[in-house]
Amino acid sequence: MESLSSWIANSAANDLALALLGNVPGSPPILQTLHLLSIVAIMASALMIDLRILGLALPSQEIHEMAQRLRFWAVAGVLGVFSSGIWFVLARPNRYFTNPVFQIKFALLLPALLCSYWIFRTALRKPNFYLIHFWRAKLLAMTSLLLWIAVVLAGRWIAYAEYLFWPA
Amino acid sequence: MRSTGEMLLNDFWLWLEMLPIASEIGATWWFPFMESLHVLSLAIMLGAILMLDLRVLGWAARRYSVSSLNRELVPWSAAAFLVANITGLAMFITRASHHVENPAFQIKMILLVLAGVNIAFFHFRVLRTIGAWDQQSRAPLAARVVAAASLILWIGVTLAGRWIGHIV
Repeated sequence: MESLSSWIANSAANDLALALLGNVPGSPPILQTLHLLSIVAIMASALMIDLRILGLALPSQEIHEMAQRLRFWAVAGVLGVFSSGIWFVLARPNRYFTNPVFQIKFALLLPALLCSYWIFRTALRKPNFYLIHFWRAKLLAMTSLLLWIAVVLAGRWIAYAEYLFWPA
Repeated sequence: MRSTGEMLLNDFWLWLEMLPIASEIGATWWFPFMESLHVLSLAIMLGAILMLDLRVLGWAARRYSVSSLNRELVPWSAAAFLVANITGLAMFITRASHHVENPAFQIKMILLVLAGVNIAFFHFRVLRTIGAWDQQSRAPLAARVVAAASLILWIGVTLAGRWIGHIV
């Protein structure tokens, strides 16, 4: 982690990110807003399909059809969070790689991505899966839902790691 | 020379800051806790709003009637809006007198009021004629203008809200 962090700190990408965030007026809040709006796209696709499988939202919509229609938004949301968030990591790698909350966020993000990928893939390929394997599908949707919520909460806590890990 | 009303209002903001609950939130992990819930609730709220607005615009989910999406999505956005309000208020009172003078906060509040007026117009005027265009992929111009305004206003609310923390 530390070698990765110092490699980024000495790279041209670090200079570019620092120049972007430091010299372009308003770029930090604008990039953070793009990050938030990309999270919105994930909520409106991956999270909504989880809620649908759990029987909590959009009862008149069909899971197979939802997956076809919302796949674009899930991919766009994931690409959006990465492309808007990466600048902050490139600019100050030490602040992030040594931060336990950042590590937790990514430890949760990977299974969240895998869960959602699997849910979309299954919904697209086996339209009846959610009727046949009712409880397995619900368990997976619940896992995905909780993971995404935890990722979003952890993201905001990166800036407050001291409350959790180095209390005064 | 400041008017009496202005002085009373200033006293009120300071009184809010002095509340035991305000200093408790401001000085502890409650602040990041509220902030992370604010982000989560706004993402869920905007996710639901995005889906409905894109449908009214005729850009997505055209196979579903506007009324079914309205019925199934508005409870989610309303519940999330309530959580965003409670958590937002909890953060506001910790620095009330600063926030009211923060231009980003002022713009956010103006945009929130406009978004509220827009919702009221949609609900009490546009939806009254829904019988005629509920199933149509192309809603009347007034409905599409309201949906576009909703998207723009909520993106503005998000941007202004994120900008508050960059002006301290």
